[in-house]
Amino acid sequence: MQDRPTAIELLEAAAEFVDREIVPAIKGARQFQVRVVANVMRIAAREMQLEDPAVRAEVKALAELLGHDKPHLHSLDDLHAAATKLNGELCERIRAGEAEAGDFRARTLRFVRQQVEDKLRIANPRYLEADLAARGRRN
Amino acid sequence: MEPPEIARRLEEFIRADGGYDRVAIEDLRRMAGGASREIWSFDAELTRGGKTEKGGFVLRRDPGAHKIDTSRSAEFRVLRAAHAEGVPVPEVRWLGKDASALGAPFFVMERVEGETIARRLLRDDEYAGARSEMPAQLAQILARIHRIDPKKHQLDFLAAPGDNAALTEVRRYEDNLKKLALEPHPAFELAFRWLLGRLPKTPRTTLVHGDYRIGNVIFGPEGVRSILDWELAHLGDPMEDVGWMCVRAWRFGNDQKPVGGLGTREEFFAAYAKASGVAVDPEAARFWEVFGNLRWGIITISQARTHIDGFVKSVELASIGRRTAETELELLNLIESA
Repeated sequence: MQDRPTAIELLEAAAEFVDREIVPAIKGARQFQVRVVANVMRIAAREMQLEDPAVRAEVKALAELLGHDKPHLHSLDDLHAAATKLNGELCERIRAGEAEAGDFRARTLRFVRQQVEDKLRIANPRYLEADLAARGRRN
Repeated sequence: MEPPEIARRLEEFIRADGGYDRVAIEDLRRMAGGASREIWSFDAELTRGGKTEKGGFVLRRDPGAHKIDTSRSAEFRVLRAAHAEGVPVPEVRWLGKDASALGAPFFVMERVEGETIARRLLRDDEYAGARSEMPAQLAQILARIHRIDPKKHQLDFLAAPGDNAALTEVRRYEDNLKKLALEPHPAFELAFRWLLGRLPKTPRTTLVHGDYRIGNVIFGPEGVRSILDWELAHLGDPMEDVGWMCVRAWRFGNDQKPVGGLGTREEFFAAYAKASGVAVDPEAARFWEVFGNLRWGIITISQARTHIDGFVKSVELASIGRRTAETELELLNLIESA
């Protein structure tokens, strides 16, 4: 058991420092690269917060979609392995033409959208928010 | 190889190749950009028969330790053809076909001054005029590229598309995804099925630029100055370039202007039709826009692999691996609305 600050707090502190102190001090092409450094630290911090519940929900949803029993897994590594295997199976079924129409297509599209949105909540939440806002305006 | 050594060898190469009495290179420096290719800028004085030409030049060189499947000499010949047909491109001057002179193949072209950072184009006041001119300019230039006769310019060596250019490209990227992906991507599989069900007939086969987007344009306040990065040029369906221009990643958030964040599809298609005399079939353009987003998504995986596999260690390439989901979301939006 480590002492505070948590890993997330450490990464956020480092990203904050890079954005506030380093980015303004650097000009040109390097400035962009330094922004990238702060951005990847923030991605890692969000992943530590959000990945565990997201991958649990993903495995549960995949098992339902594909008609399997819900697997009882605990460690994050096991969950990732299960998600990879089940996503592979879903890809096979899409390639075999099973998701062209009907109920399985509708459920597949719903699942895949949820999966992609969960990835973006970690990788680029502003992109997801802008997309949701734009689609809200169109509908 | 250090810059002074590159300069010395380049002086010797240009002197011999161009039949000059004396070549003096100054201010050779590496330029930003060119993730897959080194780009250097330099000034030179070229003397022959008592006459001296002074100019600014750009050296494009293959990085030594990189796996490259494009060829400097192919790009050189395509650029020369484009220049001859009035496409705004830097004039190419010297070609080093092999590694003997600079350790890797290269060519030298004249330097075109201007800006290349797309975010500046989309945001800075200085480029307000360019923003309104460029959708039509880009359509007119693209029409001109697609009119280049490959036979006339001996460009027949470029990869030919087979019976169906669209199917050839889709199969190529299916294969790329299979080789590169470290995780399954259901969104990409859905996009492949969508594409395979909507393959356009290919009424025309033309020269295709292959990477026609605002990031590959040198511009000034007045608009387009030069079209860069011809290394992916091939023979194929000209609508491939039209669709690629509409890919979401080149809009930098300016999504109400789907064509590079600058204009609407309708105005871009109309300007292209007017300049080329060939109407744009919106369904074919849509096919190639979906293909373009999918292709960019697979390229993001490839860039991440370049880092993960250790060819080039780079935080920027690593971060691009987390942009794959952006293209997946755009693909879902496109295939669910059509």
